[in-house]
Amino acid sequence: MGFIDSFKQNFIEADRWKYLWDGLLTTLEITGAAVLLGLFLGFIIAIVRCTYLKTGKMKLANILCRIYLTVIRGTPVVVQLLIIYFVVFASVNISKTFVAIIAFGINSGAYVAEIVRGGIMSIDNGQIEAGRSLGLNYRQTMTYIIMPQALKTVLPALANECIVLLKETSVAGYIAIADLTKGGDIIRSQTFSPFLPLLSVAAIYLVMVMFLTFLVGKLERRLSANDRR
Amino acid sequence: MKRIFATMAAIVISAAVMTACGKTATENTVHSKADLEGKTIGVQLGTTGDSLASNPEVIKNAKVERYNKYADAVQALKQGKVDAVIIDSDTAKEFIKKNDDIELLSEELSEEEYAICMNLDNTALQVEINTVLTEFKTDGTLDTIKEYYDGANAGENKFKADPNADTSKGKLVMATNAGFPPYEYMEGQEIVGFDVDMMTAVCQKLGYELEIDDMEFDSIIPAVQSGKADVGVAGMSVTEDRKKNVLFSTPYTNTRLEIMVRK
Repeated sequence: MGFIDSFKQNFIEADRWKYLWDGLLTTLEITGAAVLLGLFLGFIIAIVRCTYLKTGKMKLANILCRIYLTVIRGTPVVVQLLIIYFVVFASVNISKTFVAIIAFGINSGAYVAEIVRGGIMSIDNGQIEAGRSLGLNYRQTMTYIIMPQALKTVLPALANECIVLLKETSVAGYIAIADLTKGGDIIRSQTFSPFLPLLSVAAIYLVMVMFLTFLVGKLERRLSANDRR
Repeated sequence: MKRIFATMAAIVISAAVMTACGKTATENTVHSKADLEGKTIGVQLGTTGDSLASNPEVIKNAKVERYNKYADAVQALKQGKVDAVIIDSDTAKEFIKKNDDIELLSEELSEEEYAICMNLDNTALQVEINTVLTEFKTDGTLDTIKEYYDGANAGENKFKADPNADTSKGKLVMATNAGFPPYEYMEGQEIVGFDVDMMTAVCQKLGYELEIDDMEFDSIIPAVQSGKADVGVAGMSVTEDRKKNVLFSTPYTNTRLEIMVRK
């Protein structure tokens, strides 16, 4: 079968391109929301952990955060997804996309937390001392002095986490979510030709990641503009 | 701060435990084929149940949830996440044996036939297999194998492979999906089932050494097409679409697609 016939069979016939398009939207929806949830969780946990490490306060919260980090980073995301779908929300008929957002968000949060903590800890302690000497309290020192510097350092790593998350959502098909990867699988199961569906799915992921990388590069340049004075 | 976190943790944990223990799956709303319209239907990706549910001429406005395994689809049905599962009758019965909260509707969806598939170019193998299958049908070998899995004498007289069988023709790789009892499923570390016994008998007759390769159901036809497997034997129904992509042997069993619902 020629390329054109194969293309027609895989994408045009029976409107099969819609599987990819709908899948792409689902993937973007899950990734977008999960990134936000992950950032939110990650920042809270990083701040708790750093506060404990720097001041010795929030002992209990720190222990809870460490349990969370150990469990989430110690188990595969597919298993977490299945647990959340089949065990935690066992008898609740809940939107699967929502389940996926929760699972991937909670997962990503653990990694974001360690990235951000690394960033905060990398700022010299003298900065805190300076801030406190100027009469700022701990919270103000964190908000106005430490965090802005830390954020700049961790940005590339955070962007990387976004990219990893985008690709990780490809396991969402395990709970029968029709995401981009599953969209390709559905086409494959109907046309029995692996070549085009798989390569197009790969190409779409690649384009999305390249676009993200481009955006982050731009942002990094903006943030480092004041370094070169 | 401590207290807030402690309370939050307590709420999260108790919520998780409560949802996990709750046992109120929603009431069944599907009582006939006509009721399937507009419902959420669980299927296994790439099966005939999938193509049937996805065909708007058969079921209107169905929301099709394509699971990788029948077991997951059945699990989702039990938990009220889908309204019905379209599944092959023999496999459905195996699931019902182990789960007392699901049942089949008396109304069946379609009649189908299982056959062995092979590469479109491999007509020689098709001829070989067809000859043996016809022989097995007349001499009762197929029936004997089937009786072990189904019927009054189930569990008796398991088919035994001959350890000294002729394997002069080399390996024959069989692609299958071991989540489809009684045709193929895992028993301990081994893949067993009707299809496995049948293929063992066929290979003995023809002088092949059988090698089983377990994979996702929707990967079987591509594996046969690309030559990674010689035959696909996985309770695979003969359909027009599949015929364009693989050769089928003569059918070895008749079956039906049925609708599985909560009790």
